Amino acid sequence: MIDIQLNGKMVKAEEGEMLLSIIRREGIDIPALCDHEAIEPCGACRLCMVEITRKEWEGWKKHVTSCLYPAEDGLIVNTHTEQVMEIRRTILDLYLARCPNSKVIQKLAEEHGVVKTSFEKIPDADNCIMCYACTRICEVLGRSAISAVYRGHDKVIAPPFGEEPPDCIGCLSCAMICPTDVIPWQDENGVRTIWKKKFDMIACEKCGKEIITRDFADYLISSRNIPEDYFKICDDCKRIDLANKMGSIILQAEEAAL
Amino acid sequence: MRVDSVEKLDRLRDDYRKAIDTQKKRIAVCLGPGCLAMGSDVILKEFKKVLADKKIKDVTVESVKKTGCHGFCARGPLVVIEPEGIFYTRVKKNHVADIVEKTLINGEIISKLLYIDPQSKKQITDYREIPFYSHQQRISLRNVGQIDPDSIGDYISSGGYSAMAKALTSMTSQEVIDEVTKSGLRGRGGAGFPTGRKWETCAGVESDTRYVICNGDEGDPGAFMDRCIMEGDPHSVLEGMIICAHAIGSRQGYIYVREEYPLAVINLQTAIDAAREYGFLGENILGTGLNFDIKISRGGGAFVCGESSALMKSVAGEVGEPRAKYIRSVVKGLRDQPTVLNNVESFATVPVILNKGGEWFASVGTKKSTGTKAFSLAGKINNTGLIEVPMGVTLREIIYDIGDGIPKGRKFKAVQTGGPSGGCLPEDKLDLPVDFDTLTEAGSMMGSGGMVIMDDRTCMVEVARYFLEFLVFESCGKCVPCREGLYQLYRLCTKICEGEATEDDLESMERLSKTIQIGSLCGLGQSGPNPFISTVKYFRDEYLAHIRDKKCPGGVCRKLITYRINDKCTGCLACLDVCPVDAITGKKKEIHVINTEICDRCGACYAVCTFDAIDIE
Amino acid sequence: MNYRFVVNPSLCTGCRTCELACAFYHTKNKKPGRSRIYPIAHAPDKFVPVTCLQCDDAACARSCCFDALKRNEITGAIELNLEKCVKCRACVAACPFGCALIDEVHDEIIKCDLCGGNPACAAFCPTKALEYKKIEVKAAPARQTA
Repeated sequence: MIDIQLNGKMVKAEEGEMLLSIIRREGIDIPALCDHEAIEPCGACRLCMVEITRKEWEGWKKHVTSCLYPAEDGLIVNTHTEQVMEIRRTILDLYLARCPNSKVIQKLAEEHGVVKTSFEKIPDADNCIMCYACTRICEVLGRSAISAVYRGHDKVIAPPFGEEPPDCIGCLSCAMICPTDVIPWQDENGVRTIWKKKFDMIACEKCGKEIITRDFADYLISSRNIPEDYFKICDDCKRIDLANKMGSIILQAEEAAL
Repeated sequence: MRVDSVEKLDRLRDDYRKAIDTQKKRIAVCLGPGCLAMGSDVILKEFKKVLADKKIKDVTVESVKKTGCHGFCARGPLVVIEPEGIFYTRVKKNHVADIVEKTLINGEIISKLLYIDPQSKKQITDYREIPFYSHQQRISLRNVGQIDPDSIGDYISSGGYSAMAKALTSMTSQEVIDEVTKSGLRGRGGAGFPTGRKWETCAGVESDTRYVICNGDEGDPGAFMDRCIMEGDPHSVLEGMIICAHAIGSRQGYIYVREEYPLAVINLQTAIDAAREYGFLGENILGTGLNFDIKISRGGGAFVCGESSALMKSVAGEVGEPRAKYIRSVVKGLRDQPTVLNNVESFATVPVILNKGGEWFASVGTKKSTGTKAFSLAGKINNTGLIEVPMGVTLREIIYDIGDGIPKGRKFKAVQTGGPSGGCLPEDKLDLPVDFDTLTEAGSMMGSGGMVIMDDRTCMVEVARYFLEFLVFESCGKCVPCREGLYQLYRLCTKICEGEATEDDLESMERLSKTIQIGSLCGLGQSGPNPFISTVKYFRDEYLAHIRDKKCPGGVCRKLITYRINDKCTGCLACLDVCPVDAITGKKKEIHVINTEICDRCGACYAVCTFDAIDIE
Repeated sequence: MNYRFVVNPSLCTGCRTCELACAFYHTKNKKPGRSRIYPIAHAPDKFVPVTCLQCDDAACARSCCFDALKRNEITGAIELNLEKCVKCRACVAACPFGCALIDEVHDEIIKCDLCGGNPACAAFCPTKALEYKKIEVKAAPARQTA
């Protein structure tokens, strides 16, 4: 355990623990759009920046992304200095130019006093904040079906060559983790569509409700060792089945007792 | 032919030197980038043909060789005849027969091919007396322009691999690191991090695997020092890397060469193959038990891959995007292993440091910036080319004493140093010494050594816009301050160039620059606003002229200038013919008139007019 | 862990108090969540309170590619870490008993977490059909392996 100073207060932390988790643990709220527990931090959104210094630096300061900076003994951290707030405001201002219709960005910007962007709006803006959460989660899943393509301002998240991603299994992890909800998907008539790829859904043998895509089920069967017939009926029908099975066991036991 | 001991190497060196001494005359044809572009390879072929035909005593086909960049690119194609140092400039294919006949056979000098000093108006025969050369001290460029890069024999005879032999057989790893630390060598790629300290830290990290990487990405527009070292003296880079491998304990090295340098890749590979053959790379180098090999890794055409963490991702086959370097790459670099990454020029300097001693190197240059630095002089300067000077030499010396000032009688306006991460300095800063720290304090930086000189026909706002456009194009796009911030900064700068901006916009740009500098993930973003910040600091009146008066003092920004024909016009119709929008009217022998409504300000008329009759306001 | 959640279905009257207790215990933003215990009739007036069996080799935990389902060594429950959960619903499809499901009210995946060691349903069950009690580890019946 080490000691660091956070906004003037001494707090304890594990050596090497990222500053963001210490900050959150102490109940201080700072934005971190590209951060999620399920994926490794990557410091792309820059909103979690904080000011750090050390006594030996004699007043010299540095600004770092707290999601990626490991705590060291004697570190002095400040999360809401004037400079840090100015950086957050300007970054949100830039985001508003890029993602004018994103409710998440609008809300966050308003909380920081930025009501509208002072910059030129990007033509054909798609509201993607390029946080890389979708590509990172797909990598953790083990598929890496999508990635960031092109460079700089033209960067977009896309499947290889803009075509149907061969490795996508339709699990929707990317769409679900997206902080601004910009990955479109659709479930209709037993078919799921995402990234222009169509997936057949497995329907419950009993009630017909759609459970999961065939490809995702196959992936869980082969790489996570889930028996194939677990995917034959939906959760509602499984619970009813369990009740019925247990019920008949009880009835049999009662009859045997008589 | 494996050289498996120092004794064998020494004997080999003597043999090579004796062989060179038997050549009564040695003809070097510069095949550096500039001369090559002007056809010096044709000249080389012609020499070989003529010498093969003529069969002169003591001067054979073996007497002529290609070399890397000799340095004086403005006067190329260059041919140098040793041992006299006869320096022939602007050589053409049809001069070769004459050179062989007159100079090689009869010992006569061909005056029309000599350099004429513009001050004394005298012809100079020996290049070492030309101010361009006499002001230089070539350490990292010691062999460039002197040896045949394809010949390991040339390299060995000039002392090559002796430092490696010394390090591997008579110095411990720590002693090598100490010598480099003593020399005060700071990274020549631009950041200026103390090399000895870098090696020391890396060597101290617990690991089975460590990597040595040479950064040959050289992305700064206008910089070609590293290119000339890789093309002209590739073995010096290999030797530096082998010494580093011994110092930190590495078995594998990579040279990352940018995609746009195919000749550097070829020459480096030739050198690697030869080094392997001689046993200087591979297993049990020089019989000392060191195993080290080098692979070339090619870039894909991205400026951002010059950034160390992006470079390492690129070497590993991933997309070249930088990462936050709170955990330094000497601790966790390529494939998460401790890695030393140094610039081409840094590695090329290491053998000299080991041979002549760290103390000697520290005696050159200044206290905090020891040694010398290579620069590529480009832009509006008479003597464009490749130079190397001790640190501490002033900008004025470089631009006027070596560079011979501004051509066509124009005035000096600014010098851009350090590439897109650097800045522009005006005339009153010309007496600043060039080193790692002084230029940075003034708002620019020395950077990797690219130096672009600008005259009074340059618009500083347009310069800022140009570099911002470059950076927007090259940004990897991962973080918002760089991707969005530089883009918006570029858009606003364009607005200024088009006369559509307000003073509020300028203030907005200054605020935005601060955020980009602090908030960006890597050096590209952090230094991205520098072109704007330095030009606004020293040339603020130009910005205000664009904003308030809608005028471009440099006469560059198309929307803000007017082309007019003055009374020097002779009515030759040349401009009429060339105007793409037919904006010029006039008859033969009558003064022509430009219709400023239609005029596109493309500058074609200005380019063809030989009577100075076109004014740009 | 020496505590086990013990269900005695023959004592279940189908009063659904457990369902209410669970929903109110897991209230967020003033909205009660969906219950994680499901009294289901298998015959007229005969109920079984179906809930997560906290399996030894749980299919839900295996199916999660993001490590969001982990056993709490003290309570014995397999807990869903909402911060890691991506809502891909692999666990919902994989659980053989259908005991991981979607709570549409709060838009999250839910499963029984034994309320961190003091299950609300057991506390409120009037007939003691649900109990959370200490048992001898030696005599513990083998858990359901999924």
